[in-house]
Amino acid sequence: MIFWSRLRSWLRATGHRARMESEMDAELRFHIEALAADLVRSGLSRQEALRRARLEFGAIERVKEEGREARGVSFADEMMQDLHYGQRVLSKSPGFAVVAVLTLALGIGATTAIFSVVNAVLMRPLAMEDPSRVVYLQEQWRDLFPGVSVGNFADLKRQSTSFAKLCASNNASFNLEARELPERVDGEIATADYFPTFGVRPIAGRFFTAAEDQPGQARVVVISERLWRTRLHADPSVVGQPIRINGMPTTVVGVMPKSFDPLLSNSDLWIPAAYTAEQLADHDDHYLNVMGRLKASGSLGEAQSELHVIAQRLQQQYPLDDKDRGFRLQPLATALLGDQRLGLRMMLAAVGFLLLIACANIANLQLTRSRSRQKEIAMRAALGASPNRIVRQLLAENLVLGLAGGVVGVLLAYWAVSWIIAHGPAEMPRLDQSRIDASTLAFACAVALFSSFFFGLAPALRSASTRLNEVFKLGSSTSGGARDRVRSLLVVLEVSLALILMVGAGLLVRSALLVSHVDAGFDTSNVVVGRVGLPDPGYHDPTVARQTFERMITVAAALPGVESVAVVSRAPLAGGGGSNGLLAEGQAIDPANFVNSQLQIVSPSYLSTARVPLRAGRDFTPQDTRDRTLVAIINETLARTMWPGENPIGRRFVCCEAGPKGRMDPVWHEVVGVVADVRAWGLDHQVQPEFYIPIAQMPPSAWDWIGRTMDLVVRTRGGVVPVHELQSVVASVAPAVPIYRLSTMQQKISSTLERSHFDTFLLAIFASTALLLSSVGIYGVLSNIVAQRTRDIGIRMALGASQVQIAWDVLGFGMRLAGIGLALGLVGALAATRLLSSLLFRVRPTDTITFTAVSLILQVVALLASYLPARRATRVDPMVALRYE
Amino acid sequence: MGKQLDLLQGTLDMLILKAVSLGPLHGYGILLRIQQISKDRLEIQQGSLYPALYRLEHLGWITSEWGESENKRKAKYYRLTAAGKRRLQAETQNWNSMADVIAGILGTKPEEV
Repeated sequence: MIFWSRLRSWLRATGHRARMESEMDAELRFHIEALAADLVRSGLSRQEALRRARLEFGAIERVKEEGREARGVSFADEMMQDLHYGQRVLSKSPGFAVVAVLTLALGIGATTAIFSVVNAVLMRPLAMEDPSRVVYLQEQWRDLFPGVSVGNFADLKRQSTSFAKLCASNNASFNLEARELPERVDGEIATADYFPTFGVRPIAGRFFTAAEDQPGQARVVVISERLWRTRLHADPSVVGQPIRINGMPTTVVGVMPKSFDPLLSNSDLWIPAAYTAEQLADHDDHYLNVMGRLKASGSLGEAQSELHVIAQRLQQQYPLDDKDRGFRLQPLATALLGDQRLGLRMMLAAVGFLLLIACANIANLQLTRSRSRQKEIAMRAALGASPNRIVRQLLAENLVLGLAGGVVGVLLAYWAVSWIIAHGPAEMPRLDQSRIDASTLAFACAVALFSSFFFGLAPALRSASTRLNEVFKLGSSTSGGARDRVRSLLVVLEVSLALILMVGAGLLVRSALLVSHVDAGFDTSNVVVGRVGLPDPGYHDPTVARQTFERMITVAAALPGVESVAVVSRAPLAGGGGSNGLLAEGQAIDPANFVNSQLQIVSPSYLSTARVPLRAGRDFTPQDTRDRTLVAIINETLARTMWPGENPIGRRFVCCEAGPKGRMDPVWHEVVGVVADVRAWGLDHQVQPEFYIPIAQMPPSAWDWIGRTMDLVVRTRGGVVPVHELQSVVASVAPAVPIYRLSTMQQKISSTLERSHFDTFLLAIFASTALLLSSVGIYGVLSNIVAQRTRDIGIRMALGASQVQIAWDVLGFGMRLAGIGLALGLVGALAATRLLSSLLFRVRPTDTITFTAVSLILQVVALLASYLPARRATRVDPMVALRYE
Repeated sequence: MGKQLDLLQGTLDMLILKAVSLGPLHGYGILLRIQQISKDRLEIQQGSLYPALYRLEHLGWITSEWGESENKRKAKYYRLTAAGKRRLQAETQNWNSMADVIAGILGTKPEEV
């Protein structure tokens, strides 16, 4: 109660100062006039009465001043005084102020920039209604988490009771013909519950209905705000209009708001899934994203246990497809952003370390200054400043530093965030939403305050506890032992933090170097790749689709400068792909015996065009057609997995399709060749078992699996093939079909490494800054100690100590600090780098080479930082030193 | 009019609390009320009243609001709060016991020691 009224009064005092002043004015004037009126009544003239009233009232300004003080304005005033004083003191030592502000700005800027990224990517809730109740459902098979099959989804939807809504979608891309060139846009094929699950309403029109989500209905589409704006010129009457998707007129029924992208997949359109009865019975193809909204009464755990029961039922019902299959349920945000967590947290920890090092450095500087300011402070204490006020004053000085550092830091962060958005990995979702906003500013403010407190408190308390007599009695030459210990401790802390950062950066750098030497498994130079998707209507017939691609190969091969051309269902490093269970001949039909392997459908010229080395057997030929023996070429990993230690040539396996007598009728593929492993998922990824089958032998239904989409692989004779030439090749063979994601193989490789290079680059910058700051710390402490002990050194030299001995002492002290910091840092690094292991490639988190190299670098830098003060110590002239007072 | 007494240090607060405990008053009114009750025997520097008022308000013992004075002028009126009331009671008790003690000491005669 009293606290509140005080707070109110203080707030009123500071917040409504002007109003309070005028009120006080009015109140005092009223008093004087009332007094004067009484005096007039007792017979005085009005003028005389006013004069007497003022006289009796006393000095009005002093009354006001005391009034302000009584109201608690004084605290704010004193604070302002302190800040002003702090600013004056700092402006008297501009060198110190500039160094401190810049150091601090570096720490605050880096921390704020990384925080704003973390905030945008990880912390901001997904743009949907109550995102915490939206979950992402996957199947679980062995240690894989594939999508859900349509059949399993249908059964789940029928049987589960935990979800208020359950929907499915799969990502797809579409040829969109709007006014200009045909274009490929990404979208989703979704069930009618999709939008209600996320609880987001269209900005125009509606979402498609359950009735439209049935086979054989009129074609409808919901489009994104971006598509509406960029491709349809924000036409307000777009709802009800047809647009051409995959060559078919499709009616736009709704436009979704800008923020709507629930799976963070940059979807631009959504069309109804309209599963056919055949699809609904399919438990074998696992590709659906399944999202659900938990009922308000249920928890994730309850839903998970219900799914467990359903999974067991499905396992019995569909032993061939669902054996050992379970379901995994995660909050949607975890499923979408979980991968980003480790890297971003590592960055946040790294900048946190950097900030701590910066603060330790400033604390060190302050301790140095507090020594030379001891007399000034003692004088203030002698003149009656309370210890409380002195601490407050010193803290205020640090606050000025902290705020200045914060302002410069935020400017730095501004620049850094735009740099990160421009150069950051494209695959990181929501990165482009990073900005310096209110929450980031609040964070920066908190960091600035925290750091001023951190680096200011120790020196301030130390100064305030200074005993007057000690300061005036003792000369300046004695070494403040306790103070040196604090400073040494700070340096040790800096060195150990810097070491941890350097080890982390070192490991990432080493891993990046190793990745850059990895053999991709094929010749990546002079290869251009682009994707072509044929629309289902018009290219439904497998023969037509195959012949279209074959014609494209022929036409493109005739381009000048082109050596050879091929198509492949998924070019290496292009991402994605489908996996199949293979069963070797002689194994029982049991899902446990299936080997999961990536399928590549290729034109006969693919392996020679990509220059994937043939290890055994033969390459495909144009004669490998469907009426001949079905053949396959496997990679070395698959050969090792399926037939360990045996010659796989001539062996057979079953996969991909069923014979005319039903599901259990095997269709055999004979292995005719073995090729080298290709790092299809990125140079830093594990090689998967992989097999190739010729386009002329592919099962007809495989065209649906790959969405009639293939990568056109063009090997040139060294030059580049102009984009428009490939575009016109495709358009001449398949009108209105675009070629997209066109780039060289080298570009694709660097884009898969973008993320790790970015992490490595940032961490390396942070680590070198940390190294620089901590060497400045060592240098500062040593030079200060040398300066303080000039007299001691002089005496020792006068007593016969050699320059080498003196230099050795100083160097030894510096190296001892670095050594202790090193030891502590190594222990910390061993604990910390374990968390990095998933980011590392072929480097163990305890890699001896990195640890040794980093320790050496640190020691050399520490030696250099100690050398200058040591040399200064040897130049001490004993005579001067003894007189030095 | 009897001889005027200087106000003892720290007693002004108590007098103000007492004055406003009898009903809401503006600053000048408080002064008049104290002078009236003390029969003009206390000398109060007019201006010194206000810092004391602000301090008491800051402490939450009195509160103020703008109202209209007897002669239709805008004036700030002070009123005792519940906390102020408790404070006044405590101060009064304290004062009385202190006055007893002091009076006892000062009234001591040599033979009583």
